[in-house]
Amino acid sequence: MASSTEVIVSEDVAAPSTGAPAAARGSRRGRSRLKLASRYVVVLVMMGLAGFPVYWMLNTALATNAELYAGTQSWWPHFEDLGSLFHQLGRVPLWRWLGNSAFIAMGTTVLSLVLGSLAGYALSRFRFRGKGPIGFLLFITQVLPEALILVPLYALFISLGLLNNLWGLVLADAGFSLPVATFILKTAMDRIPHEIEESAQLDGCPRISALTMIILPIIAPSIAAAAVLSFFAGWNEYLYANTFLSDQGHWPASVGLASFIGQNETPMSAIMGSALVFTIPAIVFFLLVQRKIVAGLTVGAVKG
Amino acid sequence: MSHALATGAASTRRRRIARFSAPYLFVAVPLVYMTVVVFYPAAREVWLSFTNTKLSRPNGGHFVGTDNYARIFGSDLLWTSLLTTVLYVLGVVAGCLVLGTLAALAVDRPFRGRALVRGVLAFGWAVPGVATALAWSWIFNSQTGVLNRITGALGLGTHDWLSNQELALPSVIAATVWQYTPFVMLVVLAALQSVPPEVREASHVDGADALSRFRAVTLPHILPAIRLVALLLVVWSMRLFEIIYLLTGGGPLNRTSTLVVSLELQAFENYDLGGAATYGVVGLVISLAVTVVYFVVERRSTHGV
Repeated sequence: MASSTEVIVSEDVAAPSTGAPAAARGSRRGRSRLKLASRYVVVLVMMGLAGFPVYWMLNTALATNAELYAGTQSWWPHFEDLGSLFHQLGRVPLWRWLGNSAFIAMGTTVLSLVLGSLAGYALSRFRFRGKGPIGFLLFITQVLPEALILVPLYALFISLGLLNNLWGLVLADAGFSLPVATFILKTAMDRIPHEIEESAQLDGCPRISALTMIILPIIAPSIAAAAVLSFFAGWNEYLYANTFLSDQGHWPASVGLASFIGQNETPMSAIMGSALVFTIPAIVFFLLVQRKIVAGLTVGAVKG
Repeated sequence: MSHALATGAASTRRRRIARFSAPYLFVAVPLVYMTVVVFYPAAREVWLSFTNTKLSRPNGGHFVGTDNYARIFGSDLLWTSLLTTVLYVLGVVAGCLVLGTLAALAVDRPFRGRALVRGVLAFGWAVPGVATALAWSWIFNSQTGVLNRITGALGLGTHDWLSNQELALPSVIAATVWQYTPFVMLVVLAALQSVPPEVREASHVDGADALSRFRAVTLPHILPAIRLVALLLVVWSMRLFEIIYLLTGGGPLNRTSTLVVSLELQAFENYDLGGAATYGVVGLVISLAVTVVYFVVERRSTHGV
């Protein structure tokens, strides 16, 4: 409770009501305190709603099976049971699943970044016929459901021998992360003055090396954002993986975890523990680069 | 002399060709790749909706004209599915816009611990869809779920959240809103932070109350961002699959079967790829129509009428 008053006070200081008539100041301050208190309540309620499902995953992972089946799960996590959670996780092939997820995710990242910087460079640096339609086509991928593409891609992968193949999944997944990566990188390149490459070109430096030697190092933070986005597009992807990888040895964690739904053999604590291990890297990295990803998605829509 | 001129002209021409072709060289590989894995399959799916292709022979269907459309439009499932999609999209868009804007306004001004608060509020967006579905299916569990413990303690009774015909769709909407609200918050927050401080201060001095100040000053500034995020929410929730599919499988009695879920069920439970594609095309046409309307409205408002 002490911290709550501190927050309110510091907000009050941040927005002083200078210039208000002395008579009005008293009621004004009372009103603004009320306003700040209500804002504080809103923040607390929303934090509760936003954080609860993740908290409950943690809490369930650390609960005993007896209380889970009896419906008497404690409201607080038993942190002392962390050791038995790792024992539980040994009952599912979680680490192999995560290895497959990581392979797919890294492949998706490399493919999206390489092709995304080429396309982003063209869209940022040149005026050419077909530029508008290309930007529009890339934006349209936001409208296309994966489910719509699933069957024709499946048929295509049969003929190319790409079923049950993690490389095939990389090819499929990057189709949806490449456009967003392109927009993130294009937005970053737009902010770099053209003179930088022009001077390099006078020195006889070809355009492709202007891109790789000069532009890309400058936009490293945006590359990181595009990398995170692409990585977790591959890491999270479920529908393609569930359809294209029938061999359980190739399953990524998304498919493995989904297979727990509706079966009763695996203890819920092991399921939620696995889901949490699968989720935590995504939360950490997304929070680091969220702003640049938001910028990429919105620019794609505005200027596509 | 003339020799030197000729090579000069040739090299200018070569340079001009190089300059003309350079952008195409850069976009060629990305574009070919996107065509193979996205645009060609999408076009092929549209074609499938005019054939009688079955799952057993995905490459061997015959052209049947608009038979699939006649059949699908004559079935109740399409109309249930359309209604479900509309309710789902409206629920998700309304819920996300209200909660996301509220969250953005709440964390707009600096206060101690804001970074932590903003991080927690953004959780849903970062959590993978499959993990979201697992977490919510456990929360909604009718026997041992925490939601029934809470509603039971509050005297609201216990419910089969995911298998009750009235509650399944709102439950699925709630899980989706949880996942997409953070994105709205982040976009609106970015827009709020770009409102010039003078504008806000001027309105403070006027002494207008918070709500009318929000409507008169802040809202016009963030409205373009809200319109854009509304468009993205519509097209994303039209295509969202795994949360619905994993929570309810489209049930009970198709009450949560949006067009995308119906597509999947038609293809992999009825083995009817032609009919499945028809659901996909219907959804795609709606999404494209919404997108076109958005761009027309946006162009008109930026260029003046």
